[in-house]
Amino acid sequence: MTQFTRRDVLKIGAAGTATAILAGCSQDAERWVELEPYVRAPEDQLPGNPTYYATTCRMCPAACGILVKLTNGRAIKIEGNPEHPVSRGKTCARGQAGLQLLYNPDRVTTAVMQEERGKRKFKALAWNEAINTLIKKIEAADGQVAVWTGSTTSGHLYDLFSLFTDAIGSSDLIRYDLYSAINGYAALTTISEQLTGQAVLPSYDLGHADAIFSFGADFLGTWHNANAYGVEFGNFRDQAYGKRGYLVQFEPKMSITGAKADKWVPVKPGAEALVAQAIARIIAEEKLGSPERIERAETLTPEVDLEAAAAACELQVEDLVTFARAFAEAEHPVALPGEALIGRTNSLDALLAVQALNVIAGTVGEAGSMMITPSLSGSEMQPAAASTFEQVQTLVERMNAGEIKVLLVHGANPLYDLPESLGFAEALANVETVVSFNPMLDETAAYADYILPNRVYLEGWGYEVVNPGFQGLPVVSGQQPVVGPFHDVRATGDVLLTIAQRLDATASTLPWTDEVAFIKEKITNLPAGMYGGDDPDFQWARYQQFGGWWPETAPADPITADLAQVIEVPAAEFDGAEDEFPYFLHLYLPVLLSDGSGANTPWLQGSPDPLTTISWQSWVEANPKTADELGVKNGDIVKIESPNGKIEAPVYVFPAIRPDTIAIPLGQGHTDYGRYAKERGTNPVNLLGTTRDGKSNTIWAWSNVRVKLVKTDDTQDLAVYESKADAAKDAHVPF
Amino acid sequence: MSEDTNKHGHKWTMVVDLDKCTGCQACVVACHAENNVPIASEEEVVKGRAMHWMRIERYWEGEFPDVKAKFIPVFCQQCGDAPCEPVCPVYASYHSEEENVNVQVYNRCIGTRYCGNNCPYRVRMFNYRAPEFDAPLEQQLNPDVTVRGPGVMEKCTFCIQRVRRGAETANAENRLIKDGEVVPACVQACPTNALVFGDKYDEESRVAKLVPNERQFKLLESLGTEPAVYYLKGGETHVGE
Amino acid sequence: MLESNAQRGPYWEQTTPEDERIAHQIEHGREEHLLLDPRPPAELNELALATMKKTGPAFWIAVLGLGSLSLIFALTWVTQIFNGVGITGLNRSVMWGPYIANLIYFIGIGHAGTFISAALRMMRMDFRRPIARAAETITLFGLAMAGLFPIIHVGRVWKLFYMIPIPNQRDLWPNFRSALFWDMSAITTYIIGSTLFMYIALIPDLAMARDHTDGWRRKLYGALSLGWRGTTGQWHKLEVVSNILSFVIIPVMFSVHTGVSWNLSMSVQPGWHSAIFGPFFVVGALYSGVAAVIIVMIFVRKVLKFGYFIRDEHFNAMGIFLFILMIAWVYFYFAEWITNWYGNLPPEVAIQEMLTGPLAPLFYLMLFANIIVPLVLVFKRVRTNLPAMLVICIFIQIGMYLERVIIVAGFLSRNELPFNWVDYVPQLPETIITIGTLATLGLLYLIWTRIVPIIPLWEVYEGQAMQSTRRVGRAVVSTRTDAH
Repeated sequence: MTQFTRRDVLKIGAAGTATAILAGCSQDAERWVELEPYVRAPEDQLPGNPTYYATTCRMCPAACGILVKLTNGRAIKIEGNPEHPVSRGKTCARGQAGLQLLYNPDRVTTAVMQEERGKRKFKALAWNEAINTLIKKIEAADGQVAVWTGSTTSGHLYDLFSLFTDAIGSSDLIRYDLYSAINGYAALTTISEQLTGQAVLPSYDLGHADAIFSFGADFLGTWHNANAYGVEFGNFRDQAYGKRGYLVQFEPKMSITGAKADKWVPVKPGAEALVAQAIARIIAEEKLGSPERIERAETLTPEVDLEAAAAACELQVEDLVTFARAFAEAEHPVALPGEALIGRTNSLDALLAVQALNVIAGTVGEAGSMMITPSLSGSEMQPAAASTFEQVQTLVERMNAGEIKVLLVHGANPLYDLPESLGFAEALANVETVVSFNPMLDETAAYADYILPNRVYLEGWGYEVVNPGFQGLPVVSGQQPVVGPFHDVRATGDVLLTIAQRLDATASTLPWTDEVAFIKEKITNLPAGMYGGDDPDFQWARYQQFGGWWPETAPADPITADLAQVIEVPAAEFDGAEDEFPYFLHLYLPVLLSDGSGANTPWLQGSPDPLTTISWQSWVEANPKTADELGVKNGDIVKIESPNGKIEAPVYVFPAIRPDTIAIPLGQGHTDYGRYAKERGTNPVNLLGTTRDGKSNTIWAWSNVRVKLVKTDDTQDLAVYESKADAAKDAHVPF
Repeated sequence: MSEDTNKHGHKWTMVVDLDKCTGCQACVVACHAENNVPIASEEEVVKGRAMHWMRIERYWEGEFPDVKAKFIPVFCQQCGDAPCEPVCPVYASYHSEEENVNVQVYNRCIGTRYCGNNCPYRVRMFNYRAPEFDAPLEQQLNPDVTVRGPGVMEKCTFCIQRVRRGAETANAENRLIKDGEVVPACVQACPTNALVFGDKYDEESRVAKLVPNERQFKLLESLGTEPAVYYLKGGETHVGE
Repeated sequence: MLESNAQRGPYWEQTTPEDERIAHQIEHGREEHLLLDPRPPAELNELALATMKKTGPAFWIAVLGLGSLSLIFALTWVTQIFNGVGITGLNRSVMWGPYIANLIYFIGIGHAGTFISAALRMMRMDFRRPIARAAETITLFGLAMAGLFPIIHVGRVWKLFYMIPIPNQRDLWPNFRSALFWDMSAITTYIIGSTLFMYIALIPDLAMARDHTDGWRRKLYGALSLGWRGTTGQWHKLEVVSNILSFVIIPVMFSVHTGVSWNLSMSVQPGWHSAIFGPFFVVGALYSGVAAVIIVMIFVRKVLKFGYFIRDEHFNAMGIFLFILMIAWVYFYFAEWITNWYGNLPPEVAIQEMLTGPLAPLFYLMLFANIIVPLVLVFKRVRTNLPAMLVICIFIQIGMYLERVIIVAGFLSRNELPFNWVDYVPQLPETIITIGTLATLGLLYLIWTRIVPIIPLWEVYEGQAMQSTRRVGRAVVSTRTDAH
């Protein structure tokens, strides 16, 4: 069985459900999968015949629905869930690699503590002892407890943490990691709220779009949901009557999205928003497109001196006119605000300028345009909000001031994610007790006093309100254990509920016996979904079978955007003087390792990066001209210095990057995090400062750094997959 | 055997739409997961021994700023007239009559690597060292696929374990395999649906309909290997130029 | 007018004529030509046997040195079997490397021995007589070493028997369509044939050694000489068998190197896929093989002190032969090159660019060693100058070895899809194994010279017996009687 049809899924799911329902009287059997010896095999199980369970991928925050194939109790393959409105039967490379998280040789196998942080001399703890200790610490902290979650922390756990912190009187609940920061979760949510009143990430129905103007959004690589946008892109290129759409990508360094673009425009870093404004202005001035579009363009854009704008973007005015015409005359144009804009000092204005193009197009909410997924009507389940950098900085300051006694870390790795210039390591030292719930020994866990390893997502329960949603459907993606816990690990939800029941402040707010009870209550309170039924047990079984809940059809009235003010975008400012630091620094999330959370799997480490074909390593991309200037070639190690720090990495000469820009992928340079990630490459986050955007002063301006490169005498053999022969570079392309 | 003379069984065929391939590596990792392909360490990759049954080749065209990157997924082309088949002295590389694909018998392979040299697509991967799966990563291994030992040549099989299972299921239900019922791991993963798999002998299948396409070409067609993999050339939309 | 000297008693008892000029001519002929310089058989036997029995310190040092190298080679091979072929520098594109180049090289140097012996025997070239066995020995051990390389090369040596057509439960045959199978058959046939050919020719000399030694040698030679007594019937049979084998072995010889070349040319690898590879490889093999024989001749003459048997005339003749082969090789190489160059196919252009680019030092060294250096062979003074010949022949060995490495490992690194152009860099293990097999060849040769008479004495007697001098007018010329 390989390709699933709807009927197949029903059949498959039913098998899994049957086991659950038949054993319904025993709560245990309902909650996790039991390994049975062959001699007592369930009647519907044949050795060698796989079974499938629907759950949700947590390799990134996107929450794609997946089916996990099990043979004799072992999870051996992950496939996309074809019923799921987000993944639509597909998976990305990272999603496939989830199995190597489950079977990772370097997982923390039981609760441990260490006497001295960072020494990595761990002592196993009995779980009861660990929980008791934690209860005492939290009691003693008297509300000075902070919880740091990441964007892959399951929604139910975030909700539980949220109830918990509220009950003990703490306001320090952070949901922040590198992925959500680089992808601008907080910034884009703010913009959406401003435009539509919905505090969710915007989503784009690319599959029906005519023209995509992507301002640095690597939506095929790592932007929000590469898998779902991949499906959309496939549809975009395969529209009726042979229409294949028009994709323009504005970015200083070619991403895989740029590689697939019909027009790749290496616009000057910091000038992307200017392009968007110029396009809008040209629509207004040249009267391109429908009268409504012209009118909106006139309202929304300030006077732009096109010659000056073109010069600032290093483009020709004719190019801008071409783009404007293409945008204005397309039936369904979309503009995507991407990573390149998110990290600038003018972040919010720049993002708004790009989103304004979607407003000008006037098609928001229609197929082939920007779509805002409506919230679940009649339910309190909302996507968990990403924290802003300001909130992070505030917490770090409070930690430094000794105002935090207990720090609970789940699903995030702030010690790795945050630049050294923020001083998180020093702040951590001022926290009395640090508890990590991460199943792997990552950097933060190595500096924790206690590690109470959570189950990895394939072993655990959960739900996730999908954000950004696709096809206009609000989705609660369901997560259930597909295998029994591989080690002596406990679900953090259960640990938290146990603690809550023993604390006076929380016993009444968190009354559930375990997390499954909590999730079940939430799920069965949802309005009728596509699986129907009103019996809670039936709904619960169907929820597990389908891997989530979503309505049969999208709500009839789509959410539209409204904007009626002139958007002024101040110029982006950069850290470091141009004569001292001649190059723009372009950091990006690589397709495979992403924000570094995938660095502990051999599959993601060992598969080549699509454009450079490098695996296992860090590198600096430099234009051939830049490399000539510096006198470096592939594999020569250079020192990269920014006003905030310096790192070393080997050069990879990359033809598709601006000569005034260098690019470094994030994700490597772990000092812990298992054998595959440890001491491999370099972490370029340390080149960044802690500047925040100029308007709201809440968003991290991570992409505002200039650097200089100093050649060293060292070299490194690059682990490239492509040919290393010079002749291959300009060889005849054989197809 | 030419495709015209062998009309029995199936002609499993893949169509790769280069217009949709984004180089995202989902197929590559899916293939590793499905087929127990070991991952080459950094040192091995440096030596030029990266091991993927499915690889995405990237070619550059032009110079900055008009530079273009072209992706092409290359994997065993399941040639109808395969150069690797006649050269194997022990019949480890042979053509399966039923599926019409090129199969490798790992147990039979003695590692002369002749097939590897003779493959113009360089898709045959040799186990220069014993594969390593750090415990408990080996628990993930697919029981339907042999783990190849050192000294053995291996390559893409169009996930023949899936094809066979599909054929057996259809047979047990006394019917023909439906189009799209069986797909290899890469096709199943591919987010953009750039990969399409099916039986070309089934005239109603998607591949049979995609093959007569003006964008269609075969990789290194001039060599006459009659590949069962068809590529659709990537396009380009020009606006205002 | 013609006056024969043949009737006057045994040929070694011929007296010097009184005519001084003629005497000088005869004396000169004796110095120049082995066959005109007869000595009593007993003396020759003694000469050959003394060398065989002599094992001085130099011999033992050489055995020790070569033996240790051979041992290191064996250990490296064992390491490779346990760790996989991964210890070499081979990669995903260059799957054949120096092991296959060595196979071609060793078969190449193994070529000349039998060619000299059999072809020259067929053509009744007398200069072959003293050098035939030294050359055949090269064939034997060269082939033995060459035969090792496929075994060293394969990934799973313990499954190698799959290549042999032996009855098995599943009725699986080897693949007769595979050029590797043809090659294996050809090499096996050639090893058997040339061993037989050499052994047949060895019998009279083994019998001689049996009659003049005692102890283990007498037992060994007694067993090996198969009761040879030197009867007319036995000589006649020897003659017949040798002639048959000569005729049989020559096509086999061609088949071997053609087979090796077909391993490459039957593939679709650019640069390999060429119809000229068969003859080109045969000529290349003879070229390097004759050069190898000359090196061995120098060794036999200088180290084993067989100056009596191996004379300048032999070096002269071999030098001319080498020169002709060089011209033939250059012709084939040029023909191969110009076809590829004119064809201008992208992968073949890439190969040419690689040869004149990154591989230029090796490529030009190869051309220099194979073409420029041997040009001096036009001078007879060079052909008869042993140090010069040694240098030239070593150059040719290096050149021809490089040629094989470039063709195997170099060409493979350029293929149809430029993404997969992976250069090959040799690593320590294959270097050790290459040097180790050369050492093993030397070791075997060294030991062999102490076990069998390295000069085919009976052929020399025969030649000398069939020679005589005749006066033609005023000149004294050597000639061969047609008496036998």
